Amino acid sequence: MVESYLPILVFIVLAVGLGVLLPVLGFILGPRRPDDEKLSPYECGFEAFEDSRMKFDVRYYLVAILFIIFDLEIAFLFPWAIVLDKVGLFGFGAMALFVGILLVGFLYEWKKGALEWE
Amino acid sequence: MAEILELVWILAKIVVLLVPLLIAVAYMTYAERKVIGWIQLRRGPNRVGAYGLLQPFADALKLMLKEIVLPLNANRGLFVIAPMLSIMPALAAWAVLPVGQGLVIADVNAGLLYVLAMASLGVYGVIVAGWASNSKYALLGALRAGAQVVSYEIAMGFALVGVLMASGSLNISEIVEAQAGPIWNWFWLPLLPLFIVYWISGVAETNRLPFDVAEGESEIVAGFHVEYSGMAFAVFFLAEYANMILISGLAAIMFLGGWYSPFHGLPVLGPIFDLVPGMIWFCLKVAFFLFCYIWFRGTFPRYRYDQIMRLGWKVLIPVTVVWLVVESVFILTGFGPWF
Amino acid sequence: MIELIIFYVFAAVLIFAATMVITARNPVHSALFLVLAFFNSGVLWLLAQAEFLGIAVVLVYVGAVMVLFLFVVMMLDINVAPLREGFARYLPVGVLVGAAMLLEMLLVLGSGELSAVGLAGGASEALGGVGTAQSNTALIGNVLYTIYVYPFEVAAVVLMLAIIAAIMLTLRRRSGTKHQDIAKQVHTRKAERLRVVRMNPEKRD
Repeated sequence: MVESYLPILVFIVLAVGLGVLLPVLGFILGPRRPDDEKLSPYECGFEAFEDSRMKFDVRYYLVAILFIIFDLEIAFLFPWAIVLDKVGLFGFGAMALFVGILLVGFLYEWKKGALEWE
Repeated sequence: MAEILELVWILAKIVVLLVPLLIAVAYMTYAERKVIGWIQLRRGPNRVGAYGLLQPFADALKLMLKEIVLPLNANRGLFVIAPMLSIMPALAAWAVLPVGQGLVIADVNAGLLYVLAMASLGVYGVIVAGWASNSKYALLGALRAGAQVVSYEIAMGFALVGVLMASGSLNISEIVEAQAGPIWNWFWLPLLPLFIVYWISGVAETNRLPFDVAEGESEIVAGFHVEYSGMAFAVFFLAEYANMILISGLAAIMFLGGWYSPFHGLPVLGPIFDLVPGMIWFCLKVAFFLFCYIWFRGTFPRYRYDQIMRLGWKVLIPVTVVWLVVESVFILTGFGPWF
Repeated sequence: MIELIIFYVFAAVLIFAATMVITARNPVHSALFLVLAFFNSGVLWLLAQAEFLGIAVVLVYVGAVMVLFLFVVMMLDINVAPLREGFARYLPVGVLVGAAMLLEMLLVLGSGELSAVGLAGGASEALGGVGTAQSNTALIGNVLYTIYVYPFEVAAVVLMLAIIAAIMLTLRRRSGTKHQDIAKQVHTRKAERLRVVRMNPEKRD
């Protein structure tokens, strides 16, 4: 069974190789004339105003955490989706409870406004 | 010895898939310019070669000969790796997609899970590129694009779960075979809300209009790849189009019956249309979705970022969850001809 | 043969990546090496016939958890130098803790309770016997929602607590910002916004 994954490994190695080969080709074939103005970060023609680090915006962190939770929910849903006919009503009930509990969390975040602004 | 032969055979199959795929990606750029041109009542490129058909090669040559500018203070190693991180998942996911009956490189039992994992990896190219560029706009664009991709992955995952419930297997060939039959046997009909949600999520995942605010050309000037030029930029471009073709291929496989003709199994029309090989039907369906992609780009205005996030979290996820419950009731009670 | 080569290659890269995680100077490099480490361990799990879990590691850890790490590490300008200064002072305690963990692992793994035959035999009996036509994922699904339903539901509660805790700890309502009620915007009707007025034509002198 695990032998069927060998082509995937070869494919990934090939894709990585392609992704490395193309920019390397570009480096070899393209001119290299570094210039102060060319190398400065893009700011619509101005000098850069301040350090490029921005203030920490906690909304991105919140989105990422919520994504982890729902990704785990999907990972739990995958085996259930396949064996739905075998585990029957009991399995359906177990998953309904699981999704229901997570739905409570989702409702909480909706009402609290964690899904706003972004 | 036998193992080396096997490796060579695998390599041959991969090359047979990759070369047309890369050509398709290149010509996708041409198709987009032509179709958008016609939508805007003008012709697209028509100078280079007959009808402009050699345009992609001209573009590739130009990009290859341009200088790749490594910005000051940019993190060199990560700057160069980011395009590779972008294109690797887009290509690697094709290893498990069947383009015809039995025409798949790796027939794994967890194919759909693998495809979802590769889609999750796609966010890394964006984030690393944005950070490594040492530019405010790039970082902001990267974080926003990353948050957007990640939000729509949830809706996409739920839609995939719906398909799994209907087909009963993670093996992609078996998912297609579960749809064997004419057009009303395919999954788009019982899973219509999931189909629509998957399609919208797919467009949002690839950062295409109307969801392309993170690389919005007029707002934050190409976002996370603003500091890239030459071949490195080309690789990002290729990765985006490869992702588009991947999403279209997945939609064709999961909802539109893969390689089956719309009249498969019907008494008179069935055998006639079955003479056309399955691969052609698959390519036709993928082409239809790609045309929709270009059509959306030429027609819709751009969503604002908070509207995008609202759509992903507050609309698509509840729709999918509700339909999953409905579908599981269908399956448990044996309703309809599909389950 | 190929499996052996693959195993050694990926195990070596895993150990290298894990070492780089703790020794890299730049925290973003550290996080990216951790991504590499997770990817490699996913491949190793695949080699151990754990198909679903191997790919789930890539899906959840690499695809979700490390994205969170990267978001945070990239936005915070972490100055690593002062954090590294106390290294020499904490070394003895660190070695002690590390040795204790190593001892515990050796005790558990070498005890014979977890011998390969015992584990495989017991597990495959519970999962329906070796050589069934069911995929690895289906085998997991068969037991997860029936025999192990209690830990499954506990997992749901833990996840919900994670949502609530994350929101309670991080959500700050910024005063003075205007935000739009999109639902209201979508539900406006023409009658609420537009009024057509009929006027008589007037003479212009």
